[in-house]
Amino acid sequence: MSLTELETEVAPADAEPTRTIQGRTPWQLAWARLRQDKVAIISSIIIIVILLMAIFAPVLTHWFGTDPTKTNTNTGLDADGLPIGPSADHLFGTDHLGRDIFSRAVYGARVSLEVGLLSTFFATIVGVTIGLLAGYFSGWADAVISRLLEIVLSFPYLIVALVAAATIGPSKTMVIVVIASFSFAAMARIVRGQVIAIKAREFVEAARSLGASRLRILVIDILPNLLAPVIVLVTLLIPQAIVTESTLTFLGAGVDIRIPSWGGMLSESTQYYRVAWWYLFVPSGMLLLTTLVFNLLGDGVRDALDPRSERIMARAGKSGKTSRRWRTPSEPGSAGAVSGR
Amino acid sequence: MSEPTAGGDVLVSIQDVYKHFPIKQGIIFQKEIARVHAVDGVSLDVTRGETLGIVGETGCGKSTLARCVTGLHPVTGGRIFFDGTDITGLRGSRMKAFRRDVQMIFQDPYGSLNPRRRVGSIIADPFVIHKIADGAERKRRVQELMELVGLNPEHYNRFPAEFSGGQRQRIGVARALALRPKLIVCDEPVSALDVSIQAQVINLLKDLQKELGLTYIFIAHDLSVVRHVSDRVAVMYLGKVAELSESETLYERPRHPYTNALLSAASIADPDRSEKRQRIVLSGDVPSPVNPPSGCRFHPRCPKAQERCVTEEPALVARHGDPDDHVAACHFPVEAGEQLTHERSTIEQQSTEPTLPSA
Repeated sequence: MSLTELETEVAPADAEPTRTIQGRTPWQLAWARLRQDKVAIISSIIIIVILLMAIFAPVLTHWFGTDPTKTNTNTGLDADGLPIGPSADHLFGTDHLGRDIFSRAVYGARVSLEVGLLSTFFATIVGVTIGLLAGYFSGWADAVISRLLEIVLSFPYLIVALVAAATIGPSKTMVIVVIASFSFAAMARIVRGQVIAIKAREFVEAARSLGASRLRILVIDILPNLLAPVIVLVTLLIPQAIVTESTLTFLGAGVDIRIPSWGGMLSESTQYYRVAWWYLFVPSGMLLLTTLVFNLLGDGVRDALDPRSERIMARAGKSGKTSRRWRTPSEPGSAGAVSGR
Repeated sequence: MSEPTAGGDVLVSIQDVYKHFPIKQGIIFQKEIARVHAVDGVSLDVTRGETLGIVGETGCGKSTLARCVTGLHPVTGGRIFFDGTDITGLRGSRMKAFRRDVQMIFQDPYGSLNPRRRVGSIIADPFVIHKIADGAERKRRVQELMELVGLNPEHYNRFPAEFSGGQRQRIGVARALALRPKLIVCDEPVSALDVSIQAQVINLLKDLQKELGLTYIFIAHDLSVVRHVSDRVAVMYLGKVAELSESETLYERPRHPYTNALLSAASIADPDRSEKRQRIVLSGDVPSPVNPPSGCRFHPRCPKAQERCVTEEPALVARHGDPDDHVAACHFPVEAGEQLTHERSTIEQQSTEPTLPSA
């Protein structure tokens, strides 16, 4: 760095001496960093669009398509009885029964998001609770819980889901239960590790020396410090759950095939994609887009909450310009990292 | 067992306290393979209103002893009396009542405050936990405390990250004072702070002691800080008290060779004196507390060690020519004018490498 560069850095401080330094909370700092992350912002906009699409599915299909479950062999298929390609009548074309693929894709978002969000919600509640208990009450309780978590994590979820579908029948509830009962283990493991790290911090000892009860320490002192890693993991668990749901539905072990869903559409399209590329392309594209934006947002959130993460360091090292962007003072240990510690 | 008293009534009486940490191995069925002898038979009395300094190297057990006194660690053996009650077996509501009387100030002002909570609610914690004040009354008392420790009460709603290290330590002090405790255990309260800030915090602690009649147990590894604040000083080495005395006597006439070495390593502001001073450089590292040396624990590193030191553990008693309250655990205490630097120990030096038993 040359001398002139150094001077330009100093100058603004003299230029505005009246500027008051205002302290920012760890959340404000994280939000400031997230706002700088274009990928994360674009991803969250797309997520909001997909969410709105799912919520307003009836309106959208009313305007731009037809009833997603209505078979339409008269106008939905061409003279040879093959699906029609994208056109003004059918934006994304039709499937082998003449059903409007746009409408089915829009309704499919409902299933995917419902399963993704609900199963992650339950997995988070269960995972955080178990992780808190295992991490805080070390000793035999921790040993037992940790071994159980390892068993769950090493279980082939697909086989369990197939067996469950075969015995109790495929349904949305079954899919949510299966996904939640497998992904909670990942959450519990990470929370447990974080709790063990936080438990050793002096503020927990300070709370104990004040006579705080265990419940109070867990809820008031430890839980808020878990928020950052939990949020990051949630944004990564949602796309995982969506993919799992689609996989199960594709295999016929998931959501009822009569309900429009991306996995179900993919499953049916395998027989027709030679004559109707859009049939395969639309649901797989939606699936790809949804999981991609959730994952990208998750990465962005993790970077924002943990300024020391490797990705930021690498980016800051590449060019001087970006490094200044990230030079926000941060409180040591303010944001938990999912990876690393 | 010797129980030195410095007159006045005793607030805390630590009697032959042991604290061992087991080292365990195994996945589900853990078995103890060794123990860390963190505190190994310490007896100390703290008089009401005094400041007892505890010094020693890292790992000598001073922080562990502090945590035993505050009830954060259950003791392995021995008794601790606080205001006449044995606190080693307290549980439930009686433990909670005891916690009101004893508070702790922690070493790391960055670690001892929850980064996700506002300062006002951190300082209000003691009131909430002990259900003392509510609503506006609670807020008023928190702001009173903030003013007492020299913080701006307007900063009630800020996060710890918005304060400097010294200010954070003041927050820690305010939290410790909230319940008007009788005893405050300061675990290296200034060692994480800049030197200029150290003085501020120490003076604050001294002023508060005068104002509120507090008793301190003050732990530090900085000898000059301890000298400044303490009425009496205990020197700890490997879980045991090596020397205990009124602070001026200890600094003027240290009897234990370890105390001599510690004092010779402390920096002196006067360059003339500093030049004349002879430094005693101890050989080797502190032995592992897992497997402490026999006899006198200091013998592997002691320049005066002899055969007797290996076999026989020295008692903590007053030596000839010393005041009664100046006790040292040494068979061959250092005499005035003695030069320790040139002496070499006459016994075979034992390896001081920490050894863990292999399982």
